[in-house]
Amino acid sequence: MRNRLKVLRAERNWSQADLAEKLDVSRQSVNAIETGKYDPSLPLAFKIATVFGMSIEQIFSADDVAQAAE
Amino acid sequence: MAEQLTPTAKRVARRYAREIAIASVLYTAIVFAGAYAIRNLDLPQWLVILAALAPLIPALMMLRAYATFLNGIDEFQRRIQTDSMLISAAIVGFGSFAYGFLEEWADFPHVPLIWVFPALIGIWGLAACVVRLRYK
Repeated sequence: MRNRLKVLRAERNWSQADLAEKLDVSRQSVNAIETGKYDPSLPLAFKIATVFGMSIEQIFSADDVAQAAE
Repeated sequence: MAEQLTPTAKRVARRYAREIAIASVLYTAIVFAGAYAIRNLDLPQWLVILAALAPLIPALMMLRAYATFLNGIDEFQRRIQTDSMLISAAIVGFGSFAYGFLEEWADFPHVPLIWVFPALIGIWGLAACVVRLRYK
């Protein structure tokens, strides 16, 4: 799964630790999600979407969907 | 710890450390008392069995502390823990299975079963380090 977490975080000038604190997860978790090494659960994806004030689809996309769009 | 912990993670870690410390002290006391009693007192067999099983109580307390810890950490950290446990279970499970055949058929020295659990915990710890590196 692909995500725009890093870009969205940079736009808000948040560090990984800042985002981790808002999500109540470890900084390592944010890093793993950002680098695509870990896909969050649906509840965490909703939480991420809420923190950024966006929909899940605006942040996450399946690999094949992202490739098809390119 | 260099890694910044969220308030929830701090609370979970503190509780885990406290519960593990209490269980460890109890474990040490039970093992020393049990070993002393079995070696120095003429206990009936049922009491020997009871003394031999008594260390299970603090061990189960540790298990409960770990289960609470596992439920309290975030999902990614839980993934690391469960991946590590699976690796450890596979290594120790298949390792002891294979060694059992070597003992029976190839006259390898006997290794007491008591080492299975410490091996499980030790390899789980090492596996957690490796799994953590994989996600870096």
